[in-house]
Amino acid sequence: MIMAKRIALAQLTSCWGCDQSLVDLHLTLLEVLPQLEIVYWPAVVDYKLKDLEAMPDESIHIGLVEGSCRTKEDVHLLKLMRKKAKILVAWGSCSCYGGVQGLGNQWELKELLERKFLKADTVEDGRIPEEEMPGFTESVVPNTEIVKFDVPFPGCPPTSENTLEALSALLTGKPYDLPEKTVCDQCPKERKEKSITKFKRAHEGHIDPDKCLLDQGYLCLGFATIGMCGAQCPTVNTPCKGCFGPPPGIKDHGAKIISALGAIADMDPEELEKAFPDPIGSFYFTDYGASYLSKIRDKEREEK
Amino acid sequence: MTATSQEPKTATKSKRKKAKGFEPRIVAFCCNWCSYAGADLAGTSRMQMPPNVRIIRVNCTGRIDPSFILDALNQGADGVLISGCHPGDCHYSTGNLKMQARFALLQKMVESAGLEPERIRLQWASAAEGDVFTEGVKTMVETVKRLGPNPAGESD
Repeated sequence: MIMAKRIALAQLTSCWGCDQSLVDLHLTLLEVLPQLEIVYWPAVVDYKLKDLEAMPDESIHIGLVEGSCRTKEDVHLLKLMRKKAKILVAWGSCSCYGGVQGLGNQWELKELLERKFLKADTVEDGRIPEEEMPGFTESVVPNTEIVKFDVPFPGCPPTSENTLEALSALLTGKPYDLPEKTVCDQCPKERKEKSITKFKRAHEGHIDPDKCLLDQGYLCLGFATIGMCGAQCPTVNTPCKGCFGPPPGIKDHGAKIISALGAIADMDPEELEKAFPDPIGSFYFTDYGASYLSKIRDKEREEK
Repeated sequence: MTATSQEPKTATKSKRKKAKGFEPRIVAFCCNWCSYAGADLAGTSRMQMPPNVRIIRVNCTGRIDPSFILDALNQGADGVLISGCHPGDCHYSTGNLKMQARFALLQKMVESAGLEPERIRLQWASAAEGDVFTEGVKTMVETVKRLGPNPAGESD
């Protein structure tokens, strides 16, 4: 019998969609499960933080960390996972790049707290919770900047197939490398020489299902996004939002997108600028926390 | 990561903020065919301009990836100047127009990130316009002096 590998799955601030994606393997899970000894997985089994704290260091073979650090408790759990796990996997875009919640870095923490707890339309007699709380982090940074990770594994969420592939590789001790390809490489639509004269919102006009969405003027970010998902969205005529983040080697997702748009848009600069009222939201859906802009703003904060 | 983030914090504050005569460090990307030659002309014609600009020659402004600009700011440049051929004069026909489009988006993005878009400037200066290049540098230096040091900057 093969020795079962001890595995821990930790959830930080996130939607827990990565767990959902893992569980969505359904019966295929049975192929992997016998090789796993789950020692920590609060999303599914009732483990407490102290259980993890009590384990000897480096006693976990594979640790998967999902979510990003929005609270100080998240930071504690992340560092704990690093200490206890031999191989640490940044599971999902939150863990690799900060996730959707990284978009909050456009504002100060104080503004965010006021917006959420005091000014939201549904709030009456609001107050910012402070008692018995772990406290918030000033901004969301990728987990990979807090501790060292052995395997980056982006996706929002990584598909069930991705998860199975990565887990199988890790279990057999094979290296797991991210593909260099983009979503466009996996997309079945017909592409032409690009020259875009007008950008449309997804609900405007009629989409020709056979042709490239970007050619038709819809902001589909497949060209700048790592090809792991099998082009799920473009295949069903929904423009790619870039949720898996950039291919390996790209330092700034949004800057790369701007670079490409500048080359293919046949528009006045003013018109082009007007077409994107929220450039950060459009170009950094899940990875603003990892962007240069967010890093610069963090340094400014430190300076103050 | 943690070790480096501790160090410059104190050094930056004492050295750069206190300094009365703040001398900005500006990175300039100049295209080989127009602005680099224009800067050269400004030099050989002995036109006076502030010495705050470090020029990086690129073949065309169309080669400048917006990440170069953001990387420069992240590494502590107080400003980034991009200087290229006039629209229509690009050696590669449309490289500068691509830069122009990228610049529009980049500036808007920098602004919505809560940073100062004035730290980035795009100008056109041909090979014969040493004076235009000089003026551009002067304006840029004045603007950046008014804004003060890049808060993300590290001391040298």
